[in-house]
Amino acid sequence: MGRTDRGVSRRDFVKAAVAIGGTSALSACLDREGAPDLDTGPEDLSALPARQHAWNESLSRDEAGNVTAARHHVLLLLEYAGEGTPSEDDRETVEQALRGLERAYPRSNEGLLFTVGYTPAYFDRYDASLPESVDLPRPGALAPFEDPKPDEPDALVHLASDYGQVVLGAEEALLGERETLNDVEVSSFADVFEPTDRRTGFVGAGLPAANQDVDGIPDSEPVDEDAPLFMGFKSGFEKNQASEDRVTIREGPFAEGTTTHLSKIQLHLDQWYNQDSRYQRVGKMFSPAHADEEKVEGVGNNLGTDSGLDGDQDRTLEDARTKGMVGHTQKSARARDENDSPLILRRDFDSTDGGEAGLHFLSLQRTISDFVETREAMNGTDVADQSAVGTRNNNGILQYLTVDRRGNYLMPPRDHRSLPRPDP
Amino acid sequence: MDSRQWTRRDLLCASGAVGVGALAGCSGLLEEQSTNRNPSVVENRPDAIYRPSHVEGMEMIGMQEAGGRMVGLMYAYAHRFWTLTGSVTELVQPGGDVHLMASIWDPDSGTVLPADTGLRFELTKGDWSAERAPWTMLSQNMGFHYGDNMALDGEGTYTVTVETGAVGTERVGDFADSFGESATAQFEWEYSEAARSEIPFRTLDDAGDPGALDPMEMDMMPLSFAPSMDELPGQVLGSAEAGDVHFAATVVSGDDGDAIAVSPRTRYNGYVLPAMSLSATLDRDGSTAFDDILTQAVGPDLGYHYRASVDAVESGDELTITTDSGPQVSRHEGYETAFTDVPDVSITAD
Repeated sequence: MGRTDRGVSRRDFVKAAVAIGGTSALSACLDREGAPDLDTGPEDLSALPARQHAWNESLSRDEAGNVTAARHHVLLLLEYAGEGTPSEDDRETVEQALRGLERAYPRSNEGLLFTVGYTPAYFDRYDASLPESVDLPRPGALAPFEDPKPDEPDALVHLASDYGQVVLGAEEALLGERETLNDVEVSSFADVFEPTDRRTGFVGAGLPAANQDVDGIPDSEPVDEDAPLFMGFKSGFEKNQASEDRVTIREGPFAEGTTTHLSKIQLHLDQWYNQDSRYQRVGKMFSPAHADEEKVEGVGNNLGTDSGLDGDQDRTLEDARTKGMVGHTQKSARARDENDSPLILRRDFDSTDGGEAGLHFLSLQRTISDFVETREAMNGTDVADQSAVGTRNNNGILQYLTVDRRGNYLMPPRDHRSLPRPDP
Repeated sequence: MDSRQWTRRDLLCASGAVGVGALAGCSGLLEEQSTNRNPSVVENRPDAIYRPSHVEGMEMIGMQEAGGRMVGLMYAYAHRFWTLTGSVTELVQPGGDVHLMASIWDPDSGTVLPADTGLRFELTKGDWSAERAPWTMLSQNMGFHYGDNMALDGEGTYTVTVETGAVGTERVGDFADSFGESATAQFEWEYSEAARSEIPFRTLDDAGDPGALDPMEMDMMPLSFAPSMDELPGQVLGSAEAGDVHFAATVVSGDDGDAIAVSPRTRYNGYVLPAMSLSATLDRDGSTAFDDILTQAVGPDLGYHYRASVDAVESGDELTITTDSGPQVSRHEGYETAFTDVPDVSITAD
């Protein structure tokens, strides 16, 4: 899509509307997307899964069989409006608001997917502690070269749908700006939660290309029309993702829950697109072997359901010493469990919040330690210490990212999703 | 110039006394102006250090002390350079308005410091801003530094923030307890195209010949020279040259026993060569006394070097140094074809 089409294109417009939010944006979305004839959700909610994060079953899949993320996202960071610990009435208010969303839309990418999580700061309101089965430290820096600010609201709501109007409508309903959604009566949690930050984004072919007129991306419009993310390559290959089972807490009162790590990352892609060659981009994103053997066609749809590492992760140090670079995928794949499973399930998406190219890196994992271990593998500090690869230069994609904020959340099972006590 | 004659006081006095721009064209080599700032790449470049198509000056934006180290910020014409991964070089065409450069050094010893843990530039001018993690670079007239071509928002006053990053490389000797934290220096920069156009520039008649430009003669800012053989501390084993790299080796004693220290530097100018992957063996009477990688380190006496602990080095031992990959730093013209395939070298201990 050419720049001259900007503002005319339907999906471009919808993305912008999601970023702006509010009633006018919603009605604009309705005009542009049309009003899809969506079913309502179930009247009887008892059949909904215990896991808030059980999304994969209801998301679509691509030709290769990879789960396809919903295209539009809103993250609401929320403060508890009251003092001290929430009351049973507060709990009921939140639960009714969430149930309203479930009745309004089917639980799918074409309807609405959402989750609610809580920070360590939230649980600090209580005298009791979280059980040992929950690993939820306060957020901090996870690399020697980053200095992120901690996100410490009380709660995080993640709304996702293929339709911008659905995430916007759900947001408005929660915040008390509308009383019906998809002709279903809904209620608000605005008396209990006040938003402190709102982050938006998108993922999927076409959306990054249509929204590349932001700081951090060269003016030459380098982002490929097929690219699901700004960096120009596919991610989220089935075999690089932990299963929902793998990220689910198994024991204790929060069994069937999970943890969320959310980081806000700025992208600086001038060098990536203006100075690095495709050879270097492929090598730094995947592995030097991917570059040497030209394994990646276009954005990488040809790779199927894995990233084609063929053991490249075991050659990370050797590549660092002889090839002068290591791949992001190659490094990160070193973080696996005894069953050779990745430790985290990525549900990240790109952003143009603040007019800057960004990435909201949202991932699910059984323990925050699993995330830390994965991030340490991605840092490749061990490799940099023993080779010509720099701490950031030629070290995967670290040179092109700045982590501005980090936050950790417990995502309880559905039964405890509304203002849980630490010992429910 | 002997970078090791610097004292902290000299540097601070000098940087305080000399205004912005006083250092422009200080090399003395640069006499004529030209409107053609990017002559063609030399044809038939040798796989070696060569005299580039042109020589150009640079303008000092300023110098500041931050976190116990000195930060120098400079600019030149936006010009081509080459990024490097393994032995693959990629030409980066000139883009943007200027080539912005920084160098970080220890004011006491004059040692230019690696800032591999994330040196960053942030430029702001009103609502406009740009951020960049510049490349580690090697140029013939400046040596090892950080730099990149950057697009600006026209003429005017910019605030340039340089975040040095911590020195993540192992720090030895008097550096052991220094430079472990990042520091920030902020510069005000009045940029105009007219001032930029005054930066000296001239083409060279002997472009493509083996050789290198002379180092700039900077009064304020040390360049990244490796210590001379005479200055090397410890029991100097000797030196050997291959692929335009001059390897000097010595054995130094530390808290953890003895270590082999290898100090590779460029032929002609003697600049340190950072970000190499080196390994070494030590053969003693037909058996192998040592066989491992060397890791990067920096200290006030050895400068940037590569080292490994050893039990002992005895007379007659043969040290063989293998270059698994050459310096993984971006190259200014005249260095981009060098150091990519460096043969092994051997040095026999006296």
